[in-house]
Amino acid sequence: MARTRRARRPRLTIGLLVLASITIITLDYRGDAHGVITSLKSAAHDAFSPVQRGVDDVTHPIGSFLAGAVNGGEIQQDNAELRQEVGRLQAQVLAHQATANAVKALDQLNNLTWTQGIPTKTAQVIALNPSNFAATIELGVGAHGGVAPGMPVVGGAGLVGEVISTTATTSTVRLITDAASAVGVRFGPDTADLALAQGDGIDKPLVVNFISPGTALHKGEVLTTSGLQNGLFPPLIPVARITTFRSAASATQESVTAAPVADLAQLEYVDVLQWTAPG
Amino acid sequence: MTSTDLARSTIVMVVVLAVQLTLLDSVRVAGAHPDAMLLLPVAAGYVAGPDRGAGFGFAAGLLADLFLPTTFGLSALVGCLLGYGTGMATRGLVRSSWWLPPIVAAGATSMGLALYAILGAVLGDPGMVTTSLAPALVVATPAAAVLATPVVRMVSWALPAMVSGHGAGIGSGAR
Repeated sequence: MARTRRARRPRLTIGLLVLASITIITLDYRGDAHGVITSLKSAAHDAFSPVQRGVDDVTHPIGSFLAGAVNGGEIQQDNAELRQEVGRLQAQVLAHQATANAVKALDQLNNLTWTQGIPTKTAQVIALNPSNFAATIELGVGAHGGVAPGMPVVGGAGLVGEVISTTATTSTVRLITDAASAVGVRFGPDTADLALAQGDGIDKPLVVNFISPGTALHKGEVLTTSGLQNGLFPPLIPVARITTFRSAASATQESVTAAPVADLAQLEYVDVLQWTAPG
Repeated sequence: MTSTDLARSTIVMVVVLAVQLTLLDSVRVAGAHPDAMLLLPVAAGYVAGPDRGAGFGFAAGLLADLFLPTTFGLSALVGCLLGYGTGMATRGLVRSSWWLPPIVAAGATSMGLALYAILGAVLGDPGMVTTSLAPALVVATPAAAVLATPVVRMVSWALPAMVSGHGAGIGSGAR
């Protein structure tokens, strides 16, 4: 009898745990427990972020030493800041290319360069892609630093992604390569052509949809944010460069891929645009 | 589970989580990285059987969920099923071979990743199966085999074998 009870116990345990898991998933999926779950995540992130920063401080010099650097930590820091500066300059060049085309078509256009007039908050990347199933990064700046969900994030030469959640001291950014990301873009000689750049997974090129067959394209052409989508992103932020395009005989659209202009695998510092969608 | 087991289990989970967040997340190949948190329920099921494996897997999954952008509770569900399944699948095995934990870890991790991706797709993110699963399997499965021995040893310390529990010599394959 006791043996039967023992044999039944694992089944009872797993039954209860599966039930509990499904309940939690349902509550999160429906948004019923959003406040509680956000608070729990916030507390956990805030508790762990000093550990992450501390280990980063330890492991970065080790990595630099292994790479042959003597004063690894300082050089790493300098390199990161210089890369950020180079990225900003590259972004200005790309933005000028895009805006030069726009000027031809429009008499006047506000927000010609994508960060002009928009306050930014520089943030350190403290974690890259914590999940194998979502392209996200964690920033060491959160709500207390003025970061809020929905804010665009730029780094290197262009768009990195969008803030999707924040805690007091950290924030989570969905990268443009995430399968759930879709960015409205414009391109072409007068930047009048519109398309949708969708993520296809971590470290993979973006898939650009809704380009009509026969549209004039060239490799290296820069796609910039459209400013549409109810203003999810400010206009004319460089997003990606076209890498491949082909048109099948019976296809309803061009098959186009594009590489993000920002090096999403090497992000150390990014700028959060403290910009909220109009309306 | 005694209070000592509970304290030790908490320590093991927190240490493995810290290693995952600070080191393993940075080891990226083809966009994927090793997943030690998924290995915890596998190790718990292996050393402590289906009952304690399920409980340990649920707790480890819930802890991991706090740091993941995916649906909250998904890792907990996969963790408890993985702990239970590993415990059930391995309870008749003699644990004297050093190569058994790596093989069990690799097999169970691949099944756990597939289950995670499928459940994610059911919850509205088909990209988890179509784009993310293949690189995750290619990277995390061999990594699980490599990490199996230290993780099994840690979990063996946290969940020592019970006299009437999950067979004698539990975890000895890792020693």
